[in-house]
Amino acid sequence: MPVTWTLLLVLALAVAGYFIGRSRVLSAAGGDSRRLHSRTSYYGWNVALFTAVPALFLIGIWSIAKPASGTVLAVVALIMAAVGMGFNLMRTTPDFRARNAVETFVRYLLILCSMIAIATTAGIVFSMVFETSNFFKQYSWTEFFFGSTWSPRFGGGSQLGILPLVWGTLYISFIALAVSIPIGLFAAIYMSEYASPRLRSFAKPAIEVLAGIPTIVYGLFALVTVGPMLRDYFAQPLGLGSSGSSVMTAGLVMGIMLIPFVSSLSDDIINAVPQSMRDGALGLGSTPSETVRKVVLPAALPGIVGAILLAASRAIGETMIVVLGAGAAAQMSMNPFEAMTTITVKIVSQLTGDTDFAAPETLVAFALGITLFVVTLGLNIVALYVVRKYREQYE
Amino acid sequence: MNDMSKVERTVSQTDIKISARKVQVYYGDKHAIKDVDVDILDKTVTAFIGPSGCGKSTFLRCLNRMNDTIDISRVEGKIMLDGEDIYDKRVDPVQLRAKVGMVFQKPNPFPKSIYDNVAYGPRIHGLARNRAELDEIVEKSLRGAALWNEVKDRLAEPGTGLSGGQQQRLCIARAVATQPEVLLMDEPCSALDPIATSQVEELIDQLRTEFSVVIVTHSMQQAARVSQKTAFFHLGNLVEYDDTDTIFTRPQDPRTESYISGRIG
Amino acid sequence: MTDATFPVSSAPAAKSSLLVVDARTRKRNAAEARFRAYGLGAILISVALLVILMFTIFRDGTGAFRQTYLEIPVTLDAAQLDKVGNRDPEDLKKVLTTSYGKILENSLQQAITSNGINVEGLSGPDVANLISKEASAQLRNRVLANPDLVGQTVDARVLTNGRVDGYYKGRVTMETAARDSNTSPAQLQLADALKEKGLIATEWNWSFLTMPDASDQRPEAAGVGIAILGSLYMMLVVLVLAVPIGVAASIYLEEFAPKNRLTDIIEVNISNLAAVPSIVFGILGLAAFINVAGLPQSAPIVGGLVLTLMTLPTIIIATRAALKAVPPSIRDAALGVGASKMQSVFHHVLPLAMPGILTGTIIGLAQALGETAPLLLIGMVAFVRNFPGAPPEGLMDPASALPVQVYNWTQRADPAFFERASGAIIVLLVFLLCMNLFAIFLRRKFERRW
Repeated sequence: MPVTWTLLLVLALAVAGYFIGRSRVLSAAGGDSRRLHSRTSYYGWNVALFTAVPALFLIGIWSIAKPASGTVLAVVALIMAAVGMGFNLMRTTPDFRARNAVETFVRYLLILCSMIAIATTAGIVFSMVFETSNFFKQYSWTEFFFGSTWSPRFGGGSQLGILPLVWGTLYISFIALAVSIPIGLFAAIYMSEYASPRLRSFAKPAIEVLAGIPTIVYGLFALVTVGPMLRDYFAQPLGLGSSGSSVMTAGLVMGIMLIPFVSSLSDDIINAVPQSMRDGALGLGSTPSETVRKVVLPAALPGIVGAILLAASRAIGETMIVVLGAGAAAQMSMNPFEAMTTITVKIVSQLTGDTDFAAPETLVAFALGITLFVVTLGLNIVALYVVRKYREQYE
Repeated sequence: MNDMSKVERTVSQTDIKISARKVQVYYGDKHAIKDVDVDILDKTVTAFIGPSGCGKSTFLRCLNRMNDTIDISRVEGKIMLDGEDIYDKRVDPVQLRAKVGMVFQKPNPFPKSIYDNVAYGPRIHGLARNRAELDEIVEKSLRGAALWNEVKDRLAEPGTGLSGGQQQRLCIARAVATQPEVLLMDEPCSALDPIATSQVEELIDQLRTEFSVVIVTHSMQQAARVSQKTAFFHLGNLVEYDDTDTIFTRPQDPRTESYISGRIG
Repeated sequence: MTDATFPVSSAPAAKSSLLVVDARTRKRNAAEARFRAYGLGAILISVALLVILMFTIFRDGTGAFRQTYLEIPVTLDAAQLDKVGNRDPEDLKKVLTTSYGKILENSLQQAITSNGINVEGLSGPDVANLISKEASAQLRNRVLANPDLVGQTVDARVLTNGRVDGYYKGRVTMETAARDSNTSPAQLQLADALKEKGLIATEWNWSFLTMPDASDQRPEAAGVGIAILGSLYMMLVVLVLAVPIGVAASIYLEEFAPKNRLTDIIEVNISNLAAVPSIVFGILGLAAFINVAGLPQSAPIVGGLVLTLMTLPTIIIATRAALKAVPPSIRDAALGVGASKMQSVFHHVLPLAMPGILTGTIIGLAQALGETAPLLLIGMVAFVRNFPGAPPEGLMDPASALPVQVYNWTQRADPAFFERASGAIIVLLVFLLCMNLFAIFLRRKFERRW
């Protein structure tokens, strides 16, 4: 029997349970709802929740894990629903504290939902740790972390050193931050300290639009527009290379992507500096720019450092722009117009297409993934801590 | 305090430092200050009193053009500082504010060291040619604000670590260090406890040997204690302006009398 | 008070006039003007970049919504298509697309002759090559859907080859055609001649939105139909899972959670999850849902689950902000008349926070809609030609997704696919724009200041 039908049957049972529960308790109370402990609908809800929720959980887990056929599922789920319904109809008497039962039930549901965040993190860690340990059984961890050559060969004899990927990641992130921090920060300063309401009402949404554009769009922009432009007008005339994909292409475009991120974070942080601080400086005869440079920015510095760390973590973890803009050549070079590659690019290339989960060439993606996860998590934790401390200072 | 007052009587109080004529202030559509004429004397403490929302702070902020920082505010009329119109097109508000310093309601030390807080004004206005001169200005200003003995051993510590009263005196020292001619104080004691308040009041009384001080206060007792001249504002109008003694003993206007006797406010 | 020693300034500075701006102030004002210019410059650069980005996407992408068609009468020869002669669909199915290709080829030759067009320098196959390889399959489908057409002469609107299409969109020129093995200047001249006779026209292309992806050789036939459907399915999964779970988690954390270690851990966890690189969620999806749970690759259900986990933190953060904005007085009022904590939340706080929750949800969905990287890892890049079935079973069928389709097309050799990729981005951006406008509308309409 298809899942849809099981689902509908369970729901129908729950709806029936609601009405039966209600009418049962009402008739037991002789139609006088004032004699009940809780309002009548709680008796209905009590039956309905205990009928539907456990069975729905079963269906959900079952359709992902699929231990047996759909018919078995239907039978088990319906039995579960019927038991829940029967048991709760039995305890439906006028003295039964239905509201408390429902509220306790809902409370546990809420707790369960909030645990999903922890489950997700645990899932991420376990899924990667398991495969990574498989990888390190086949490949030495020193060669992975300190190897300077990346040349996977399906067929054996691969060299899987992470250093070229780290270099590419850091180089691109550096360019991205060098573009986005000055522009984003200055835009935020202008917006919060100078802009007329009219300019603000137009420029702020425009920058927010930049933030809402998916990274694949930036990736295509890098591939189709920025890459060829840099190649034709800079790299080739200067004799620096002939590749459209390059560190510069990916870095510039990623920088554009990060501008709104940096500016909206800085905007929040600059606005958290109390107005009295600005008044104090202006009252002493500072120009507005002196107020910003000598009072507001130093006051906001911890927050801005936090914002920059968050932006760095974004740059390191960004995938689509580098997949389309940076190239696939794992090398360590200083020339920004050469194609290089990043950790995220290699995760994608090792895990798409034909994958063999016994081969180190595939499993290395998990080791790359956990490295990426640990680095970005570290940056985030530090950044969030710094920003939180900063905010508390002015609250 | 009485001894001090006697000494100060000898200081000339006749020089007019600031004179305002027909000043109007609008916040958007709101007419916040109506037709105010007032002459503020040099080396004198002038108090602005009145119920909250009467416009006394607004008028104070006109005197060093702090209202410029609010987009919707508009000032009309003439305000002359030493005979020069401060709203003249040629006047740079930055230069004006160096001459007319301001201390705010809430102590607002910058998140810097005590030394850097005081040195801030001299640095931006280029008042010291070298470190020694700057040190001298900082020390003098802190002494002037009666704070030197309390902080001289910890000048490198952040100004935000001081107590509320100390912070406010630090802000006064910061304003004094710029060597202003007029010092505006917007309810400088409203965030302080009684002991800190009396310290600051004592300080204000000493400051007038150097500057013309204008203080906005919601406390009539404070006005009576520190000022020689008092202006009473009500609903945006300057109702009465006279010697402090006169205002508190023989007010001319019935509204002033109601206010000081506690019937409005 | 002992150290108060006045006067402060031993030697009062010389009186300076306010009306004269001194040199130092002039310098400071110049620095001020420079600083302002940097700020304004930064904003102008950001806005200009946005304009350039949008301009290039639209310049490259609008072509995907226009398509060059050849309109000729086609004689569906019964002798070739229905040798048995009973119009039985089962028998008709045995005739392969090649036969339809022949029919189209003949019809084109006839049209050329009857219009008196000179095809000098072009061989028969070169002429036939003018028609898209997809066209014969489309004609076959049309006949299979309506067997009575066999034996008739019908007006057919057939796709032209991608190069001819590109020629009318400016992508292909006579010069590039001369170097191109897939077309030739003579072929383009033939197309021009046909256009002159009104047989070739470039028209609005609805089928871009409805057709499935097409193979490397047929960019002219590629569409985003399956990608739109796949994205829609995934959004459905996200909506059904992430919203209730996210709201429930927020209610617990904001209204019920005791202040303890566990709550702290959950909160730190959520804000960190919001900043975990999306590709990591892809690895999780691959390991947990495909390798361990054994769900099929390329299925919208897996994409939906991964995006759900990714979107949850966004929704939780937005919902908590919305709940926090409801003033405590509302809760007190409800508790004061004897409501339980749960009743005060569900009857009063939650309805008041609803607009904020909706806005946050839509923004979370918009984020999920544009996400690409994690979907690459769970096999959504696969080439899919068959539309998935109706949900919930259809959620297990292979499908694509809009952003992944874009990526997919950028990996193809034929530059015509770049036009398709930009076109798909326009579709994606239109969806995002609608979602964001809706969010703004909700915010404006229900915004409440306490």
